[in-house]
Amino acid sequence: MSQFASTLPNRQFLWDVFQRVDRDRSGFINADELGSALSNGTWSPFNPETVRLMIGMFDRHNRGQVSFEDFGALWKYVTDWQNCFRSFDRDNSGNIDKEELKTALVSFGYRISDNLINILVRKFDRHGNGTILFDDFIQCCIALYTLTSSFRQFDTDQDGYITIHYEQFLTMVFSLKV
Amino acid sequence: MYSGYGQPQQGYGQPQGYGGQPQGYGQPQQGYGQPQGHGQPQGYGQPGQPQGYGQPQGHGQPQGHGQPQGYGQPQPQVSPEVQNWFQTVDKDRSGQISANELQSALINGQGENFSTTACKLMISMFDTDHTGTIGIHEFQLLYNYINQWLAVFKNYDRDQSGSIEESELSQAFQQMGFRFSNEFVRFLVNKCDVKTHTKMSVDQFIVACIQIQRFTEAFKAKDREMKGVITLGFEEFLSIALDCTN
Repeated sequence: MSQFASTLPNRQFLWDVFQRVDRDRSGFINADELGSALSNGTWSPFNPETVRLMIGMFDRHNRGQVSFEDFGALWKYVTDWQNCFRSFDRDNSGNIDKEELKTALVSFGYRISDNLINILVRKFDRHGNGTILFDDFIQCCIALYTLTSSFRQFDTDQDGYITIHYEQFLTMVFSLKV
Repeated sequence: MYSGYGQPQQGYGQPQGYGGQPQGYGQPQQGYGQPQGHGQPQGYGQPGQPQGYGQPQGHGQPQGHGQPQGYGQPQPQVSPEVQNWFQTVDKDRSGQISANELQSALINGQGENFSTTACKLMISMFDTDHTGTIGIHEFQLLYNYINQWLAVFKNYDRDQSGSIEESELSQAFQQMGFRFSNEFVRFLVNKCDVKTHTKMSVDQFIVACIQIQRFTEAFKAKDREMKGVITLGFEEFLSIALDCTN
């Protein structure tokens, strides 16, 4: 992802954005607030799952909301994803097709088969067009990342195989979401 | 009878149709009892715990304990009760119920609507023609299915708080034949209850149980020697994790 990294804007800018997003002025941004802020952009209504996931990633205190301290990282995260998505959406269609997804994942360093790409498209194509929109693309990449990290923890010799107990297995697959 | 619906439709309402019948796939009762040995935490560091898997059915496992077997009995035709419900839930009068419509009709014990995940998951289980919506016959199966879950949930919600706490959940799993460690139960609760991380509402409970069941089946399919341990390749792991969640 490093090639899509944006620089963090200054604090004042972030504070302005934060205050606009924090509509109930609670000092925290929850999933609803973030969701409506994101859908104000050029994209169609944001996948609530993606919003929840993103909140979860930057919500250090496990409260389902993000404070201003963590907001910068979240802002940067969304922006980087946007750059990433645009760079792989080569035909500027606003969505990513199977080939584009493959290119993206290969560039992230994943080596996965066409079969798995098909599974991913099927799973993350919410609209049934065989393509993936921005929010679902994030969702897809996060899922892949989460699962890969959890696999790596067990794959200590890095041979691509893990041997795990039942409960370990459940914990791993549940790392995704419930 | 109920003209239109009244036909004692062979096919749909039939016992072998999938949600309506105990061994149908996410079904609470039968399916559960199965994976006993699996959940055994004590199998962890130990070599090939013999009592695991092979445990005789019924041993220490209250089959149908509190679970109304009769409840989910397939009915030959749509009952008036179900018809009423269907019409209430089908707000746009399309004759089909979507996950959204289902969601606005279902309230959990916390006074909140069922989660999107739960509704999509349940619709998909009964949406035999993959339209993303269900008709009245599919709805009847779903209706019974949900009622079974509600009964199971109420049974385990011993303090009738409308949610299941960690200790209640532990007991619930035990009675279903899973023996999970306290850490795992805590992990699950923590995962499901995004707000307070202490309890599960009925919809979270349903989703968790269905997923545990699916993952357990996937695990068992790999664990041919029934050791409670499997070896998985990266892609295999990804496919299982992605396929079993909705």
